[in-house]
Amino acid sequence: MTPVKIGMMSFAHMHAFSYAAALKELDCVEFIGVADDDKDRAKKVGSDLGVESFAEYEDLLATDVQGIIVCSENIHHRRHVVVAAQHNKHVMCEKPLSVSNEDAEAMIEVCKRANVKLLTAFPCRFHPAFLQLKQSVDNGDLGKLLAIKATNQGKCPWGWFVDKSLSGGGAVIDHTVHVVDLMRCMSGSEPVRVYAEIDNRMHKKDFDDTGILTVEFANGLYATVDASWSRPKSYATWGNVKLDVVGTDGIAAMNMFAQQIDGFYDKNMSYTYDYWGENSDLNLVASFARCIGEDMAPEVTGEDGARALAVALAAYESAKTGKPVSLV
Amino acid sequence: MQRVAVVGAGTMGRTHANIYASMPNSEVVAICDLRIEAAQELADSLSTRAFAKLEDALKEIEFDVVDICTPTPTHLDNIKTAAAAGKHIACEKPLARTISQAMEAQRICEEAGVTLFVGHVVRWFPEYRRLKALVDSGAIGETVMVRATRGNVAFGDSDNWFANLQMSGGAVLDLIIHDIDWLRWCYGKVRRVYAKGLYASQVSGMDHTLVTLRFDNGVIAHIEGNWARPDGFRTEVEIAGTEGLLEYSSTKSMPLIIKHRSSDGTNATTYVPDFVATRTPYYCELEHFSNCLEDGKTPDVTGEDGVEAIRICEAALKSISTGEPITLA
Repeated sequence: MTPVKIGMMSFAHMHAFSYAAALKELDCVEFIGVADDDKDRAKKVGSDLGVESFAEYEDLLATDVQGIIVCSENIHHRRHVVVAAQHNKHVMCEKPLSVSNEDAEAMIEVCKRANVKLLTAFPCRFHPAFLQLKQSVDNGDLGKLLAIKATNQGKCPWGWFVDKSLSGGGAVIDHTVHVVDLMRCMSGSEPVRVYAEIDNRMHKKDFDDTGILTVEFANGLYATVDASWSRPKSYATWGNVKLDVVGTDGIAAMNMFAQQIDGFYDKNMSYTYDYWGENSDLNLVASFARCIGEDMAPEVTGEDGARALAVALAAYESAKTGKPVSLV
Repeated sequence: MQRVAVVGAGTMGRTHANIYASMPNSEVVAICDLRIEAAQELADSLSTRAFAKLEDALKEIEFDVVDICTPTPTHLDNIKTAAAAGKHIACEKPLARTISQAMEAQRICEEAGVTLFVGHVVRWFPEYRRLKALVDSGAIGETVMVRATRGNVAFGDSDNWFANLQMSGGAVLDLIIHDIDWLRWCYGKVRRVYAKGLYASQVSGMDHTLVTLRFDNGVIAHIEGNWARPDGFRTEVEIAGTEGLLEYSSTKSMPLIIKHRSSDGTNATTYVPDFVATRTPYYCELEHFSNCLEDGKTPDVTGEDGVEAIRICEAALKSISTGEPITLA
């Protein structure tokens, strides 16, 4: 197979560096280059990775690049996805897909009209722990799914993540979407009602840092999501993705990043977990390349991104009104 | 010396009766159970007397304390009987099946001038005491979010009374009331409750609930009650504060695990002791109660604590049935 030509727009989101490493590693990819609103960052990344850095997005899009990975600040996702699609480039967009339902729908519509693929970057979908859990659920090992307790807790990422004019929200918009996407994928059912308790007491600043969402699904499944930046600076790792699943015939506990070595280091008197499990970012980028190269439907779509985002946005509304919010 | 009549010869009744029998300042003088064989068996093992009903024991012997370990819906009647006879009362949690029963129990004991202690024993579990001490010391700054989990085996087709959710109140009223009481002890008044669960659902043989609490002081707490675990009892607590995080898990806190090897070389049975301690939390709890009676002090868990825990549980059950958040007055 001819390698798929992929380029990157913006390295604002730190996941960009992991995706870039994947682009370098994958034989099925030709890494065309990078462009960034931050020109200095583009130059540095280009030279660090040994790929071309383009002065303008237009310059990158003017090449025969086939796919673009967008890792800008959330607020810019719509603009960057739309311009890539208008140049007939397939797009993988960092999560959350956008900061409003309207933006998400517009992005999906533009990509549909341009006949380009839109993939939402949900790498957890590609982790073998989740794939095996989903297989088990699909086999009926747990019986009928009744309840899920999920956490996606992390350290506060600071930077533009805590500037709502760039991020669209704090911990809840950042950490709800991964696990809600996993729940949709595993249950085959859609979220229909959301309640949330959200606050900013961890850092007492103008952004939410802690949230507990309760989500009801169309099939009667209920779930809670802990979407919080509640890990302290001294925590041994960045955070976690966990699903505790209860079914009529059994239970399952998925701790996606449990494959770890406990390291104790005298050099800086620290204790850290070193993850040695599979790199799902690599699997995600490979899936993006494959859907372009083989002209298949993306394994994770723009609609998936929009549905997960809608839950996070409903959570903010619920916390504001004190009432459960219905998704229609 | 406290002379104690234990009502109910089930699991908790046996536990309590054996503890009173082993404590230096108390003595078990009666075991009451409508299942008279069960009462007689426990009474024989402690060389004491068996009765079918508390009323029978009251007619025949002298004592100071009634310890109630009967099924939840019968707590109020036993409390009425004991209070009318002027006996001090230790009642197993939950204090009653409903908030109105619980309030009546509290009022009756107040009017009768007897002590009402409720068996919220988790306050005497050393891990939970240590967690509270760490929080109170300011070690993690201000608490922002707490996550608590309590799980036990599903009851399946058991004909035990607690498998009847109408009687026991299920995972909300029988299981996570422990965490609710402990959280109240740590963080005070609960303002708002939202919950999901299998209570009153079509699912049988198990129960499960996810409850979110918002406290007056801003703390958000999430509690899972999982009466559907095939792998037995376990508890977890995580407390996230402005300056640190506390994580506790019962599965990571087992100082002794014994595995028996079968003839094919594989594991046949695993034995993990319930408590690795010289004195169990149940002993510490009842010792505290006994000492309070001797010294004329108010116990650390009062009838009001029993009432308030049930108020929160009932709000959770209401939230499960209505789908709405419940704000407490």
